[in-house]
Amino acid sequence: MGKNTNRRRTTMLSWSVMKESRALWTINAVPRTAVYGESLRNFSGTEFRRWDPSRSKLGAAIMRTKDDPALLLPEAGSTVLYLGAGHGTSISHLHDHLCGIDNQQRGRLVAVDLAPRCLRELTHLAKNRPGLVPVLGDARKHAAWGVLLPRKINWLFQDVAQAGQVDIFIAACRRFLNKGGVGLLSLKAASERWTGEGESALFDKVESTLESSGFVVDERIELTGYEDNHVLFAVRMME
Amino acid sequence: MWLWYDWRAAAVADDHGSILDVEQWDGFYDERTVVARLECIAAGGLTAEAMTLMERFPEAKPRVHGELDLPEADWPLPDDDAQHAADQAAIAMATRGVAQAAGDPDRRLEHLMRASDEMRSTFITMEARLVEWVGLFLPEARFGHDRSSLGKTVSESESLEHLSQTLGVSLPPVGPGKSEWKSLKEWGGSVSVFRGQLDRLEHAIRQLAEEHLPSLSALLGPLLAARLCVEAHGRMRLARLPAGTVQVLGAEKAFFNHLKTGAPPPKHGHIFMHPWISRSPRWVRGKISRTVAAKASIAARVDAFGGEPWGEPEMRLLEQKVEEIRAAHSSPPSRRK
Repeated sequence: MGKNTNRRRTTMLSWSVMKESRALWTINAVPRTAVYGESLRNFSGTEFRRWDPSRSKLGAAIMRTKDDPALLLPEAGSTVLYLGAGHGTSISHLHDHLCGIDNQQRGRLVAVDLAPRCLRELTHLAKNRPGLVPVLGDARKHAAWGVLLPRKINWLFQDVAQAGQVDIFIAACRRFLNKGGVGLLSLKAASERWTGEGESALFDKVESTLESSGFVVDERIELTGYEDNHVLFAVRMME
Repeated sequence: MWLWYDWRAAAVADDHGSILDVEQWDGFYDERTVVARLECIAAGGLTAEAMTLMERFPEAKPRVHGELDLPEADWPLPDDDAQHAADQAAIAMATRGVAQAAGDPDRRLEHLMRASDEMRSTFITMEARLVEWVGLFLPEARFGHDRSSLGKTVSESESLEHLSQTLGVSLPPVGPGKSEWKSLKEWGGSVSVFRGQLDRLEHAIRQLAEEHLPSLSALLGPLLAARLCVEAHGRMRLARLPAGTVQVLGAEKAFFNHLKTGAPPPKHGHIFMHPWISRSPRWVRGKISRTVAAKASIAARVDAFGGEPWGEPEMRLLEQKVEEIRAAHSSPPSRRK
């Protein structure tokens, strides 16, 4: 066999998130349990779950960003808002990072989704993952769940794939995000009105809307390859 | 002056953000009560604490926590324990919301409808195979249109000889092996089981549709009513669709082809299933389906917004109208202009 030439280049993006050349791994907050059939592996005695970037736009963005990928993650132990929670793929990894086993990091992850089908998975997830707060509600109707976020937060993610997603994002950031807080907007071209000028014109328009609403667009991350026709905007709120 | 409140506290502040008065709920954070409070806020109501302060400061403008016009102030925000109680309540609310989805007839109807579609296509394939299979061994057998009992007959036969006697045909010299016959017999059993299951599925759809969409069911029959409701993704959405969309619901491919290439637009979608349209001559189908779709769209609105349900008389009126259209166009239009 000879000597082990299979040395991986890995970087820790946070206490929990590890980046490999092709995939991400997070320390499993519920040991020996996979959430969506992902693989589990021990790295020097700690169990990690594989974060499949083609199933998670947040994961894809971390792989694709040209900046420091750690900037896309919230501070461990903080409170964050996730709009459009889906089936909990990204949520589970975010929870690994934010809360850890038995919420040792004391984080809170408020996950909002409109579809009862998605919430079904999330409520199961929440049983074993303290710190995860699933909310069945409309991302636009802040009054219904806004009281769950008494203080402003520093990290907000939105992936709602419905018309008017940019306005939803801007409204949510104004209400919940601190000055200088990071907002991540995953944008699906097909959900916006087609203007006939092509996708990049569409994304340009979104970028200028964000900029005129008091955001600094740090990066526009193309997710092509992982998630086609999707772009993730990483912005900071400046007003 | 502003009255701030969240699910557990309320406070009054002047325009500069100095707090004038505070009321806090000091009950135990029992889950049911917290849920009730969160729901009250979600519905835009005032909590008991906010109400008390409202009486003390009638001129204060009430705002729930987080509204943008509130001034900056040191509002009495929840501590960790309170926040934990709110989180538990939110999880309970989400769980209950998910459970309530089972009470949504739109979702139930969708599962029934899709199940019946899948069952039908399976049944048709299996029945066709059975007819071919029996036909191979008993070439003289003719089933014509009445195949309904074939599955049962096959499954109840002891042997191919027995089957040939029941069907009244002669037995050819070559027959299936023992295990081969058993497979054929069981296949026949499955076909007859599937037929029964399909009938029960359709019965369930009829029952649910008549309850959920009484007017539309009275007008078009429960199965078509259910189909339209499922294709429109729910009763409320169906009620909001224009009649023209109801007319071509189910003909999306033809419709978008029309938009894209300028081909003639489809005259009917699922609504074609109705005998008023499918049994009418080709040249009046478009006219009839327009009329029927317009009435169907009104019926859907009656159902969705809780109107007086339609029944037989409305259906008769529409039938009369359809008859008039047919009578007015009894012969095909001439091809020349």
